Amino acid sequence: MERGPGPLRPQILAALRQHGDPLRWAITAVEPSGFATVASAGPALGDPSGDRPGRLRLEAVMVR
Amino acid sequence: MTPAAPLLTLLVIPTGIGCAIGGYAGDGLPAARLLAAASGCLVTHPNVMNGASLYWSDQRIHYVEGSALDRFAAGELALRPVRRQRLGVLLDAGIEDSLRLRHLQVAEGCRASLGLEIGPVVTTDRPLEVSLNRGPSGMSWGRLGQPDALLRAGERLKALGATAIAVVSRFPDDDGSEALQAYRQGSGVDGLAGAEAVISHLLSGHLGLPCAHAPALAPLEPDPRLDPRAAGEELGHTFLACVLVGLSRAPDLVSLGADLERRVALADPGLLLPEAIGAVVAPAGALGGGAVLACAERGVPLISVANPCLLQVTAGALGLPALAASSYSEAAGLLLALREGISPAALTRPLAPLLPLAS
Repeated sequence: MERGPGPLRPQILAALRQHGDPLRWAITAVEPSGFATVASAGPALGDPSGDRPGRLRLEAVMVR
Repeated sequence: MTPAAPLLTLLVIPTGIGCAIGGYAGDGLPAARLLAAASGCLVTHPNVMNGASLYWSDQRIHYVEGSALDRFAAGELALRPVRRQRLGVLLDAGIEDSLRLRHLQVAEGCRASLGLEIGPVVTTDRPLEVSLNRGPSGMSWGRLGQPDALLRAGERLKALGATAIAVVSRFPDDDGSEALQAYRQGSGVDGLAGAEAVISHLLSGHLGLPCAHAPALAPLEPDPRLDPRAAGEELGHTFLACVLVGLSRAPDLVSLGADLERRVALADPGLLLPEAIGAVVAPAGALGGGAVLACAERGVPLISVANPCLLQVTAGALGLPALAASSYSEAAGLLLALREGISPAALTRPLAPLLPLAS
């Protein structure tokens, strides 16, 4: 799926519900988006917004 | 000086992705025990705690099936610790008589030797028809051919008074595939785990009860090259004992779906509430699951632990803030810091200077 702005989990659930009722799911790969990734020298890594575009590969088991 | 109040912590080690720690037979248990000691209150799932014939009971550890843990993290459920559960046992009609007897005798042993309250026992009205497969990533998944039969048996158990349910379903035997050999020798993925998760997710979500699963399988030939992490599964005839022990004190699942339910729950001091989650700990490459993402949305500190697995879904790739830990020992230190109110940033060097914002 193509990631949009905003929290990620609701986007994933909405995408999966187009195929049925998701029983178990996970993001299994993230394709680079072309945006710079964030790295810091301290123990914290990442962007506090958790909000960046990109493509995600999902695997799921659905109830049909 | 007394220790700070417990820090409610979630420990997630996703099943079926070959985690070096926690990807085998209960080999996440030492990490769970350590994190429970550091946090004072740990919520984790059966994949972490189940070692087939091996298990560990700790009042600080709450055993919550994976989909319920996701809903807890998302603020949809609260957890009510209990003294004991009344364990219903749900047996797949596809289990042959001798294997069925083995499982019933494990249940009898847990009653007699551990004092667990077990019963009733219900058998499905048709075989569940479990099949196993792998996703494109290599992650293990599964299919349930007769989900309605599972749900009917679960409903019957609940009507008969069961407050938690142990499911035993017949899994396809593996006569020595390369994948099974790799798993037993410590370099593969648990091929059963994905299907087990599907079964327990379906039943727990339907009934609103704690549920966990044990696969029924014919015994394997001894393997002299067996990895210690897989050894727990070689000790007995079933994988059921750990499930019964885990469920025996699994917390009740309390829905927070409606405003009234939430207000009532907030007034109950005996509940573990999602608002109290103080940290989530997960493998650094497996951060793309429901519990971690829900916690990230809620601003819960995420500790990403170096624990190699099939996936590379990292904090950097997802753009999530995380505290990186090179081991579960380091994660325990970070939890202790959070519990004591110490900023983790103060424990590393260089310590970046404050940058006042322009007025």
